[in-house]
Amino acid sequence: MACLHDHSCEEHDCSSDWSLYKHIDLSKVSALNEAVSGSVKSVFRAWEHRLNSSEGHLESNEGDPELIVFIPFTSDVKIKSISVVGGADGTSPAKMRAFINREGIDFSDAQNMQPLQEWDLMENLQGDLEYQTRYSKFQSVGNITLHFSDNLGGDTTQIHYIGLKGEATQLKRDVVATIVYELMPNPSDHKTRSETGGGLSQVE
Amino acid sequence: MRNGDYSPNRFQAQADAVNLICGAKTQSNPENTVGVLTMAGKGVRVLVTPTSDLGKILACMHGAPEQTPGACAPLSLGARLSKTPRLGGYEAQGPAPCLEIGGEMNLAAGIQVAQLALKHRQNKKQQQRIIVFAGSPVKYDKKVLELIGRKLKKNSVALDIVSFGEEDEEKNEKLEALLAAVNNNDSSHIVHVPSGPSALSDVLISTAIFTGDGEGGSGFAAAAAASGFEFGVDPNLDPELALALRVSMEEERARQEAAAKKAAEEASKQEKGEQQSTSQDATMTENVNPGTSEPEKKTHDLTDDENALLQQALAMSMDDSSSTVAVRDTDMSDASADDHDLQLALQLSVQESAAEQSNQTDVNKLLADQSFVSSILTSLPGVDPNDPHVKDLLASMQSQSEQSKEEDKTPKEEENKSSILYTVLRGVQAGGACNGI
Repeated sequence: MACLHDHSCEEHDCSSDWSLYKHIDLSKVSALNEAVSGSVKSVFRAWEHRLNSSEGHLESNEGDPELIVFIPFTSDVKIKSISVVGGADGTSPAKMRAFINREGIDFSDAQNMQPLQEWDLMENLQGDLEYQTRYSKFQSVGNITLHFSDNLGGDTTQIHYIGLKGEATQLKRDVVATIVYELMPNPSDHKTRSETGGGLSQVE
Repeated sequence: MRNGDYSPNRFQAQADAVNLICGAKTQSNPENTVGVLTMAGKGVRVLVTPTSDLGKILACMHGAPEQTPGACAPLSLGARLSKTPRLGGYEAQGPAPCLEIGGEMNLAAGIQVAQLALKHRQNKKQQQRIIVFAGSPVKYDKKVLELIGRKLKKNSVALDIVSFGEEDEEKNEKLEALLAAVNNNDSSHIVHVPSGPSALSDVLISTAIFTGDGEGGSGFAAAAAASGFEFGVDPNLDPELALALRVSMEEERARQEAAAKKAAEEASKQEKGEQQSTSQDATMTENVNPGTSEPEKKTHDLTDDENALLQQALAMSMDDSSSTVAVRDTDMSDASADDHDLQLALQLSVQESAAEQSNQTDVNKLLADQSFVSSILTSLPGVDPNDPHVKDLLASMQSQSEQSKEEDKTPKEEENKSSILYTVLRGVQAGGACNGI
């Protein structure tokens, strides 16, 4: 679903809405099939600079339009909509599929899995188009993976800007690091107060 | 793969190189994981799933009497963040499988399985790298290989190729094409190793495959190469022995300066030593006979040089030496047949000392032999270390070394030998002593 802003952008300052880029953990952003390693980090900017790709853009390898962009956040966010500025001459992406809270998705995974949501994109050189999400599904997003599976006919796919609109919570979705599962209880692991001095209970 | 154009044979050279690389990778970053798979034979088989435990990998590599030819073992290494990880892994079933030589190398399938194994690595932050040892001819088309290469590049898997063994232009072309398809920012490399005198591992050490990982890897490699496993197989197979030998080298070097000041005191000490060693030899003779029957000869080995010197010493110190010496030498030769590594080590040290022999006097030599003799005696299985004779002799030897502290810069030579043996035997003796001496 695409929709244009229903107001004139000169009057209303949209940039504050598109401020989720501040919550992106840029050091951990990664992309697959990018021609220049690390170029993916340059596509996350403030909204007012969305057309300013002087620091580089993300381009896929020659002859292969697919791209996967992995975006982790510093805290859980709620994503309302996504905006993508592509390149000219058919190098804009045509399809976008999103997966949330999964790490290490590669192309075979992305092609086989059912995405959380899928969009058909149109050429958006001015950055006016935004694509809304099913907000209820994007409530607590620790990381999001965007799979651009096709483009508008060009040899490569270029992405100059990715904008995310939404809210950031202060929570962090933490993975439980170590869990020890006991097959059989081991009394030495369970020192009671009586053994450590004090208390009335006794465990054999 | 049984060809001898790489010493000792291609397969062994490959295995050594694999071990070296595994070691370098696991050392360079503690979060690296390495796995091994074979490509030839019945089919691609993962021998070790990616693990950071070097012992497991080495056990697997050694756990096979023969090996699969053409089966280069692509390794997969896991590394953290900017490092390269690798091979994913299936769980290896049961104990280390036997590596047999046979079949043809299936490069495409091998790489694909490696990629799959890497995909399922536990730590997704690791970067992926596959190292291929291509010893056999490549039977796939260039196009197929390029396709595979592009797929690897797309999934940001780096690829290192070690091309050795069969040389033909086609193979080189294909591998170069594969590399070109995979290469992304020079993260992938190819190395051609022609057959020749230098070992496969040595050639690899200086290449980007090792140095590509920088710091730790190259440090490890440099250390391994420099030491050249001077004491036999140093760290891998017998760490205690290596440690003992190294310690004894250090000890004797420290004592060398002290021993270098012997001049005046040697003569008097020598007489005293002779008397004691005589009685010592008698004791030893009795004990040696039951000792020979012991199956576990944990004693050191003597090279022929040692035997000759020993003979000399004994002849000088004893009258009825002939029969005794004969018995003794027999024992020693038996023992020497066993441990090739120790023999090598001793030989090395002897040669080193022999080179600096110029300043040594005969007296020194004799004295050294005395202590040498005594040290040997103490380590024989039949000899009781608490034997008063032995104790006396040892005490006298030690006091001699302590007292002889002059500025003479005579090189090691006999002291070298004796101290090495002494210390080694000490270590061995500790174990031997428990065996009911």
